[in-house]
Amino acid sequence: MANTLPLADVKILDLMWAIAGPASTRMLADYGATVVRVESSRRFDATRTVGPFYQGKPGGENSGLFFNMNAGKTMLTLDLAKAEGRAVLLDLVRWADVVTEAFSPKAMRGWGLDYESLRAVKPDIIMLSTCLMGQTGPMAQFAGFGNLAAAIVGFTNLAGWPDRPPAGPFGAYTDYIAPWFNASAILAALEYKRRTGQGQHIDLSQAEASLHFLSTGLLDNEINERPQLRTGNRDLNYAPHGVYPAAGADRWLAIAVTTDEQWQALCSVMDRADAARDQRFATRADRLAYQDELDDLVASWTKEQDLFQAESALQARGVPASAVRNLLELGDDPQLRARGHFVELTHPKYGTVAVEGSRFRLSRTPAQVGGSVATMGRDNQHVLETLLGYSEERITELTAAGVLE
Amino acid sequence: MLSPYRVLDLTTERGLLCGQVLGDLGADVIKIEPPGGSPARQLGPFYHDQPHPDRSLYWWAHNRNKRGITLDIHTPEGAALLKRLVASAHFFIESENPGVLAEAGFGYADLAAMNPALVVVSITPFGQDGPKAHYAESDLIILAASGPLVLTGDDDRAPVRVSVPQGYAHASAQAAVAALVAHHERQRSGRGQHVDVSAQQATAQATQSGILAAPLGEREFLRLAGGVKMGPVVVRLVWPAKDGYVSIGFLFGSAMAHFTRRLMEWVHEEGFCDAATRDKDWVAMGALFFGAPEMIAEYERLCTIVESFSRSKTKDELLQAALQRGLLIAPLLTLDEVRASEQLAARDYWQALEHPELGHAVRYPGPFGKFSVSPIRYRRRPPTVGEHNREMYVDELGLTEAQVSELQRKGVV
Repeated sequence: MANTLPLADVKILDLMWAIAGPASTRMLADYGATVVRVESSRRFDATRTVGPFYQGKPGGENSGLFFNMNAGKTMLTLDLAKAEGRAVLLDLVRWADVVTEAFSPKAMRGWGLDYESLRAVKPDIIMLSTCLMGQTGPMAQFAGFGNLAAAIVGFTNLAGWPDRPPAGPFGAYTDYIAPWFNASAILAALEYKRRTGQGQHIDLSQAEASLHFLSTGLLDNEINERPQLRTGNRDLNYAPHGVYPAAGADRWLAIAVTTDEQWQALCSVMDRADAARDQRFATRADRLAYQDELDDLVASWTKEQDLFQAESALQARGVPASAVRNLLELGDDPQLRARGHFVELTHPKYGTVAVEGSRFRLSRTPAQVGGSVATMGRDNQHVLETLLGYSEERITELTAAGVLE
Repeated sequence: MLSPYRVLDLTTERGLLCGQVLGDLGADVIKIEPPGGSPARQLGPFYHDQPHPDRSLYWWAHNRNKRGITLDIHTPEGAALLKRLVASAHFFIESENPGVLAEAGFGYADLAAMNPALVVVSITPFGQDGPKAHYAESDLIILAASGPLVLTGDDDRAPVRVSVPQGYAHASAQAAVAALVAHHERQRSGRGQHVDVSAQQATAQATQSGILAAPLGEREFLRLAGGVKMGPVVVRLVWPAKDGYVSIGFLFGSAMAHFTRRLMEWVHEEGFCDAATRDKDWVAMGALFFGAPEMIAEYERLCTIVESFSRSKTKDELLQAALQRGLLIAPLLTLDEVRASEQLAARDYWQALEHPELGHAVRYPGPFGKFSVSPIRYRRRPPTVGEHNREMYVDELGLTEAQVSELQRKGVV
C-alpha cells in the first residue's frame, strides 16, 4: 500500500449496536482503524433484522443495513453475561485505545465495565458512552432508537404539513446525525491523549448532539418566540421553494429559487414572460409575500413536464432543481456512480454485495473499503490468538464454555 | 483538545457548522468574510425580526467559538494577507463551487505549495467532480438528490423536508470528522491533504442504507406520514395521544419483542386487549417484516388496539410509563417543550453567551458531548462583522494602524 491509512495506529473496542454507534466506527474503520466489534448471538443486533436485504430476502446475514454499518470491522462474538466473557473483554480493554459503548448506564455498571472499572485496568483509556439522553439526569435510562430521540428533540413535529399530523423525518433520524459527533469526539480525544497522555470519558447524548441541527429554530423560538411549525417545503428565506408535481404518478420535482437571477431564469424556462415582468415577484422579499401564487404558477408548468428533462433544463440555466429520486433510481445516479459511492464486498453465500463507500475523500490517503461482509463471529480466532495472544488451549476452553457466543 | 491548532474558515452558509465543531473542540477558528460580512448574515430569522448582519440567527447558530475578520481575497493586498495567514494555519475550510478558489489563486495546489502541512477541507453540494459537480443547489435540492426527501411525508402529497434545513448540516458535521482523520494522519507524515466532502453523499446516510436498494436487489421503500411502507407492510411510528402525538416502537422479532411484550402487558392492564393478544409470540410476529403477508390483517388489528390505548393517555403519562416500564415511547415535543426539558436542565445543557452589543446573554444549545477531562467551553459568541480585524492585522500580523486604515479605505478589509 502506497500510503499507510490515516488511522492505522488506532485500536477501538466497539460495544455499540444498531445504527448511530456502528456508523461512527465504520467511518474510522474506512480510514484504517482496527475496530473490534463485539456482538452476542443471544441477542441479535436489531439492524440484522432490518432491510434493505440482499435480494429482498430477510435473514440474519442478509441485512444490507448491517453490512453497511459494519464494513471493515473485526467481528467477535462474546457473552458478556458470563464472567469469562467479561475477562476477555477486559483483556481487549488493555489492548484498545478507545472503548465505545451504547448500553444504558446501569448495564455497564452492572457488568463492572463502567469508566472507573476500565480505567483501573487501562489508566489512559478513552471511553465513549453514547445513549439517547446521556449518562445522567431523570431520563438517563431512557432506551430506544433514533426515532424516539427525533421525537423528543423536535424533529418529528417539524416535518410535514401544517394541516396534517406530523409526518416526521424518515426512520431513526438522530441515528444519522449522532455519528458525525461521535467520531469527532473520538478523534479529538485521541489528539488530546497524544499530547497529554490522558484518556477520558465522553458522555455523548444523541439528543443533545442532534439539537445542533436545529440551532437556528431553537434560537428563533427562544428569542422571537416563534413556535416553529412544520411548513411543508416552505422556506423562511426563499420563494418559490417547493416540491412540485411532475408528469407521471407520484413523481416530483424540487425547485428552490434563491436569487432574483434564478427567478428570471425559471420564468424563461417556463416561458412565462408575464411572470418575469410581474412586479409582485421582482425581489426575494417580494416573492416571500406571494408563496401561494408562486406555488400554483410553478406547479401549473411542472405537472406537464418529464422530471428529468425539467431538471436538466433548469440546471442548464442555473436554477436549483432536482428530480426527487426514489431509492431504486439512486442506485444508478450518475453522480453517485462517478463518485464511487457504491462498493462491493464479498459474501460467503452470495458472491458480492454492495455497501456505501466512504462518504468523503482524502486526496493522499483515500479510504479502503473492501474485504468480506461482517458475519457474526468471523474473526474470533484472529482476535483471541493474534490480538490477545491467547493459547490454543485457552481458546478451546472458552469455546467449550460457550463464552464465544 | 484542539487548542494548538488554527482553522481558517472561508465557508459560505453551506459549511459554517464544520468550523464551529472544531471551535467547540478548542481550535482557534478565524472566520474570514468578504468586506461587509458574509452573505450568510443576510439569512433569517433575525433577532427580534430586525434584519441586520450582526443579528442573523442563522449566523449565530453556526459561528460560536470563532473570531471574525473581513478580507477581500480578490485584491492583491487581500491575497497577500491571506497567504500570510495560510502559512501558519493548520486547517483551511471552504465551501465554494469547485474551481472558484483556484481562480482566486487559492486552489488546493496553491495552498499546498504555501503550506504543505495544511489540511484543506472543501464542502460542496455534490463533491469536487462528477456530472453534477456544478449543479445549482440548496438544502431542498440536496435532500431530493440524496434520498431522504422521497422517504418523508404523507403518501397522498408531495414529499417534504424537515422545516429547519438539514443537508449542509450533515455535510459540515461530517467535514469535521474528515478534517480530524486527515489531521491524525498528519501527525505521522507531517503532510496535509485535500478533503473533498459531498453534501449529497453525507446526506445519503439519512436513508438508513435504503440507498442500497438497487444494488442489493431490494424493493422500493415508500414514504408514509408517521411511518414507513416496506412492500405491503405499513409500519407505524407516530401515534395520537390525548394531548398531541407520540412515537411508539410497536415492533417485533428477536431484538424488539421484549419491548412490545412490556407494552402489551400495560395495554392489557388498562383493559384495551384480551390476554391472548397480550401473550402473542412477539418474536414470531417479526415474520411480518420478513414477507409474511398473512400477518398484515393481524398487524392492522393490533394497531387499532394500540391506537385506542395511546389516545387515552397524555404524552407525559406515556413518557413516564416508558421510563418505568422500559417501553419504546417518546412524546413528539415542540421546540418550546424541548427548551423546557427537565432532562436537559438537569444536565446543564443550555449555555448562556454574553452578547455585549445587545447588553444581554443569549442561550445556545450546549456542548455536543461531555468530556470528563477536556470539556467543551463556549468561549466566544459569534463575531460581529470585522470584530477581530485589529486584533489580527495589528496585534498579530504587525500591520500599523495607518496600514489598516489604508486597507479599509481601499475596501480590502
